[in-house]
Amino acid sequence: MSAHNLTHDTSQRTRAIIWACLFCFLLIGMPALNLAGIVSDSMLSQWGRYCCFAIAALGVDLVWGYTGMLSLCQAFFFCLGGYAMGMHLILMTGSEGAYGSALPDFMVWNQVTELPFFWKPFYHPALAIILGLTVPAVFAGIFGYLVFRSRVRGVYFAIITQALALAMWLTFNRNEMMLGGTNGLTDFKEIFGFRLSGDPEVVAATGRWLYLATVVILGGAYMLCRKLVNGKMGKVMIAIRDSEHRLRFTGYPIVNYKVFAFVVAATLAGLGGMLYVPQMGIITPSKMSVSASIELIVLVAVGGRSSLLGAVIGALLVKACYSEMTSRIPEAWPFFLGGAFIVIVLFLPNGLVGLLSRQKKGESPA
Amino acid sequence: MSAKVQLFLCILTLAGFLSVPGTRAAGGLPDTVWEQLASEDDHQILAAIGVLINNHDDGVYRLLIGLYESRLYIYEERSEQSGLVIGGESETNDDGDEMIPLESAYPNAVLLTDDAGAPLRIDSFDLIPVETNREIRAAIEAYRMRLDLTHQDPAVRIQASESLARSGKLSVLPILREAGQIDKNQEVRRAIELAILRLQLQSKDSLDRFMAAEGLQEHNAIDLLPAIAVRLNPESEQYEQDQRVRERMKEASISLGNWRRIADISQMAFFGLSLGSVLILMALGLAIIYGLLGVINMAHGEFMMLGAYTAYVVYLIFSRLPVEYAELSFWAAFPLAFCLAGLIGVLVEALIIRRLYDRPLESLLATWGLGLILIQGARVIFGDNVNRPAPDFLTGGLEILPGVVLAYNRLFIIALTVFMIVGMFVLLYRTNLGLRIRAVTQNRAMSACLGIRTRNIDRTAFFLGTGIAGVAGCALTLIGNIVPNMGQNYIVDSFLVVVAGGVGKLIGTVVAGLAIGLTSKIAEPVMGAVFAKVFLLGLIVLFLQVRPTGLFPAKGRHADQ
Repeated sequence: MSAHNLTHDTSQRTRAIIWACLFCFLLIGMPALNLAGIVSDSMLSQWGRYCCFAIAALGVDLVWGYTGMLSLCQAFFFCLGGYAMGMHLILMTGSEGAYGSALPDFMVWNQVTELPFFWKPFYHPALAIILGLTVPAVFAGIFGYLVFRSRVRGVYFAIITQALALAMWLTFNRNEMMLGGTNGLTDFKEIFGFRLSGDPEVVAATGRWLYLATVVILGGAYMLCRKLVNGKMGKVMIAIRDSEHRLRFTGYPIVNYKVFAFVVAATLAGLGGMLYVPQMGIITPSKMSVSASIELIVLVAVGGRSSLLGAVIGALLVKACYSEMTSRIPEAWPFFLGGAFIVIVLFLPNGLVGLLSRQKKGESPA
Repeated sequence: MSAKVQLFLCILTLAGFLSVPGTRAAGGLPDTVWEQLASEDDHQILAAIGVLINNHDDGVYRLLIGLYESRLYIYEERSEQSGLVIGGESETNDDGDEMIPLESAYPNAVLLTDDAGAPLRIDSFDLIPVETNREIRAAIEAYRMRLDLTHQDPAVRIQASESLARSGKLSVLPILREAGQIDKNQEVRRAIELAILRLQLQSKDSLDRFMAAEGLQEHNAIDLLPAIAVRLNPESEQYEQDQRVRERMKEASISLGNWRRIADISQMAFFGLSLGSVLILMALGLAIIYGLLGVINMAHGEFMMLGAYTAYVVYLIFSRLPVEYAELSFWAAFPLAFCLAGLIGVLVEALIIRRLYDRPLESLLATWGLGLILIQGARVIFGDNVNRPAPDFLTGGLEILPGVVLAYNRLFIIALTVFMIVGMFVLLYRTNLGLRIRAVTQNRAMSACLGIRTRNIDRTAFFLGTGIAGVAGCALTLIGNIVPNMGQNYIVDSFLVVVAGGVGKLIGTVVAGLAIGLTSKIAEPVMGAVFAKVFLLGLIVLFLQVRPTGLFPAKGRHADQ
């Protein structure tokens, strides 16, 4: 394994400045432009959703960029969080649904008469939020422990997580799961008392609050990851990536570190999913398909692996490109995405952010 | 009364057939037949039918079918054969009259012409149809059945016996029994016996029904399980009244139920075997590439797709040639798919994989990107869904046990897989090239020191691996449509085969492929396709707890690199 040594000393400052600018732009600039009428409400909400993917991308960067584990099931964790929020929102709809029943509409279609037991905790907002974070974390913890304990790593780990993503995607598509099947969960009315449907003015106001909350949480997640990778944990993660065997022989409990990184990443993905759902207004199993997970990887690959800033920039950039391209020339998107994968991997192994250090140092990355 | 007449006629027919076929009064039928047919008296007509049946030939068949379909007319202007003619498709002329073209009744269809030589068309009002009634139609029907039961094509005979059984007419039993005794084909005999049993089941005589239940059990006739079940259902109208018969039926139904389970499991195992074969074909290439280069080729499914489209294009090209070449297109597709997929594989190896040998995870992503481009490319070129019909000799199946049909196309895929495995085995373990491939797999640096050109070996392995995927795609056109993302359906499972089998030995891929194929197909009817997949994944994760490097891991220091 060649080391992707990014000596941060000189570029550290540049990156900090870029991050500060980016964050300020997202937190203050965008809402200001929105108030000035330059950025439309739907555009603002779109950027809010990009930020959700950026949060998930931070997690991907932790496991893949820093720890060297290519997890191909992050979109599944994203959806676990998303479904938790979606279930809460749909329960809050109450009898406002199309059928006027206290049950979600899709249950009425499926002739379910009683709310399944696992839906009940999601009535309570706090409990729903806690579950949205802990369910992915616990799932990742158990699965990760089993997999890492048997020293499944590298390509094998990628394959196993991909199989997990496939199996879960198939499972969530089933109606028996009581999660809306292929149609997923949609038609939300309000979140924590703020309206998500009805008067456009009120809905736009809710959208603005959601956007701000997402950006603030993104900032928090970024700082948390920053702290994590700059501390001892970060050093161990990089060591696992670069020479797992050496580290194991030195006596480090590799499994614990790996499980921890995997759990943090899953929690971040779940967090992103929870924020995504109210802004998107729908969550379906297609968001956890096998390719959805790989697309999360591309966010980090484009921005630059082993760089938290890269993950955020990559997420915003790729998602913005995606919206642009799919609305103009939809057939070309797979060519673009596939081509981006190949070009980035071959020529820019450290992504766009890697260009920074290359310019500063005048050396090619790894 | 009518049943008796039918029976009489049946026996009459039979007698006609069994009595020295081929000897017939030269010059055809006695003239009285025509008078009788034209007599408008049912009994006379029935008698004529008896005579006609006894003198069966193609002309008689045509005549009787014409009568059956009410197309036999008396045209009074005509003197021969008492004016009997067979009418064709009627046409409405400008005046709104129905005009019917006429053919001679016997022996051949000769179109009647008017004096000017133009086809004769007669207003339907000027023709007297030969009236038929139920008895007449039944007699002809029996004649027809009888003909079908002695038809030279066994498939027609089987079909005839089945339709007789469905008709539910106990009167046909003698015909069936007779036909069953003379038939030489075992399959046809079985079909006829089943038809008899099925009819007997509806007999008024409780002994017949008792015998039927016994016979059905003896023949393991699981298809007739519902016919017994309905007689055991107290709410059904056909509920069996006789207690002894009922008990016998219960016994038969239990035995048949067990047999059905066995048949279902064998069928599922067969499907599992064929799924496993496809997975093995995919995993063979994946495993050899992974073993050698440490690279998982995410675009492997797309190489399979390339193979399938190669087969399709070959088919398109050959479909412009004369029909004799149709079968050749099927065989030509395999080597072509192998070479095309292999060559593109070598290209990909040179342009992408080579640069990423030290970074297996990145090569995984790059090949995924490549797969995306290939899928979209195929979609742009070929559209969403095309299909290559399977060659004739692969349609149908082999019924090894009652209710267990092995479809020829799946058998072919299994045979192809066995062929490829044997080929790979010989290549890897019995040739110089194989020795080199194994050497580089075990220790690249040492092999290079010993003078093996590892770059060439890599390229060869990539050619082989992707080529086999192309062959797999070619084979898959036999069981499904060709769609751009067809590789995706198999890719994750074939990855799992590589993970579970380990990359050290060929046998690992084979065993793991079969195990995964069989497990998923046997679990599917129990828990549904989706949960079978979840279950399978759970099994593999648990299996990796015990054997982290697969069933047959590579041993030694290099194993952990």
